[in-house]
Amino acid sequence: MTHPLNDRLDGVRIAITGGTSGLGLALVDELTRRGARVAFVARTRERVDDVARTHPLAYGIVGDVAKKDDIYPIALQIMGGLGGLDVLVNNASSLGPVPLALLADTECEDLELALATNVLGPFRLTKALLGALAASARENGPQAGSVVVNISSDAAVNAYPQWGAYGASKAALRHMTRIWDEELAAEGIHFLSLDPGDMDTPLHALAVPDADPATLKRPETAAREIADAIAVSLRAGSKSAGQAEAVGVTP
Amino acid sequence: MIAAHTPVQRPRDARLLIVDAFGRIQHSARDAFVGLLNPHDLVIANDAATLPASLHGRHASSGAVVEVRLAARASLDTADVHRFVAMVFGAGNFRTRTEDRPLPPQLAPGDRLELGPLSATVESLLDHPRLVSVRFDGTARDIWAGLATHGRPIQYAHVPAPLALWDVWTPIAAMPVAFEPPSAGFVLDWASIQAMRRRGVAFATLTLAAGISSTGDADLDRRLPFDEPYRIPASTSAAIQQARRQGGRVVAIGTTVVRALEHAAGRDGVVQPGEGVANQRLGPASELRVVDAILSGTHEPDSSHYQLLRAFADDVTLAEATAALEASGYRTHEFGDSVFVARRNRVVRQVAA
Repeated sequence: MTHPLNDRLDGVRIAITGGTSGLGLALVDELTRRGARVAFVARTRERVDDVARTHPLAYGIVGDVAKKDDIYPIALQIMGGLGGLDVLVNNASSLGPVPLALLADTECEDLELALATNVLGPFRLTKALLGALAASARENGPQAGSVVVNISSDAAVNAYPQWGAYGASKAALRHMTRIWDEELAAEGIHFLSLDPGDMDTPLHALAVPDADPATLKRPETAAREIADAIAVSLRAGSKSAGQAEAVGVTP
Repeated sequence: MIAAHTPVQRPRDARLLIVDAFGRIQHSARDAFVGLLNPHDLVIANDAATLPASLHGRHASSGAVVEVRLAARASLDTADVHRFVAMVFGAGNFRTRTEDRPLPPQLAPGDRLELGPLSATVESLLDHPRLVSVRFDGTARDIWAGLATHGRPIQYAHVPAPLALWDVWTPIAAMPVAFEPPSAGFVLDWASIQAMRRRGVAFATLTLAAGISSTGDADLDRRLPFDEPYRIPASTSAAIQQARRQGGRVVAIGTTVVRALEHAAGRDGVVQPGEGVANQRLGPASELRVVDAILSGTHEPDSSHYQLLRAFADDVTLAEATAALEASGYRTHEFGDSVFVARRNRVVRQVAA
């Protein structure tokens, strides 16, 4: 895939949740390669340290976005590590029940975990970092602004049996993204809901263990598309969540 | 005044005492403050987020329990977080009034402090048994992680419940550099910022590392505020120029904003963008070059905040305002009610004199 000449993100301060595997790790790779200053968040200290060792330019933070008490410590360390924030990528996701289950067989606790990780976590972290994102937008100018990317899924739109907890939580996140975008466009904070497609990731392997990886999209490909969408948004300014959704979709 | 003891940033019944440029006093609901602003006015707030700057631990050589309160730092650079000015208390916590807190064990340069996952060395004593310069071990990343997991917001006995960071970060909080919240900013929410925009009122921010408000010691309190580094973005400097051109007022949300803007202002009132360290004391003799009005907390007459208000209004007016706050049962401290003070109208005052 060829990139536009101006696909660089030099000096752009980007935080990514769920940054030690799958799409998140591919984003850490892609965004640091493009010159961004990246902080990534994940639950397991060992994995954070591993990724930090192989990505000396990225700033690793241990925390769980599904836990309310972790949110401000995460936000504090993002700001400490990057000295400001231009882009937040809410990527960390939970499937809910593993293996996937019919909604009627889904334990309430599994639905709660999906909601905590996929809806409440992005809501809380975005809210804690909104001041930083607004400050960035004021300084970058209203055209460039700042960007929040929420990783979505076709399960947010389509009713796939057995994807109830994940689908319902991602639908809530997708709708919340549109409302954030409406409400904060005037502050120069742009919200994108991006569907990376079915990827060869640990999350997908949990959901569909017998899928043939060869039929799945590479997370590196999705990471490039998301990085392009961020670059376009920072360059072009205002872009509605609905328009942007198509950027990362695989046909 | 009554201490506000509940950590609610925007209580629905919060009140605002208004002192206009002629010294007239009015009472209002605080959430109506946007109505006091005119098109082309510029509101400037301090977007500093608050550090979890209270660290409990031990003084290594004596084994004594201590609380270290980080109180000042030389810069805003988030990679440069090794050295702080700190206050050290003996055993106990915020539930004891700071005035009644025991002194720490006698401290000496080189002493080690073990503060949960953090460790630090006392580098020097700063002319008071509580006040020291400390240097943390480890990388900046280690220090941020240690503060994030072990630090608590600095708080005082008038709020009995332990505070979390979400209690003290204003809605616009960005850079975590303040040691106590720039609490005048609690008045702001995103709806009020939208309401300003609809009204044609501009909004901008600066960042000043607001220091501690109370040390529990009269000698140390007289040294407050400590020097506070600040940063003024180019967009804020430009917004001030624009407000001036359009005849709008500059309205500061909080004393820290006044301190930064007046420190950065040249004799011509032009505010250059960039970083600086506010080290001045504002008071009755200070000439305000930039700020036309301030929205602030309610302050007791013996505080440095009150001294700063004397740059805006004469003593007779401020005494009337204080009497009105007392008589009407306004609440004080960081979660309390607010005052809006317009800079006195000098022309009228000179005519009257």
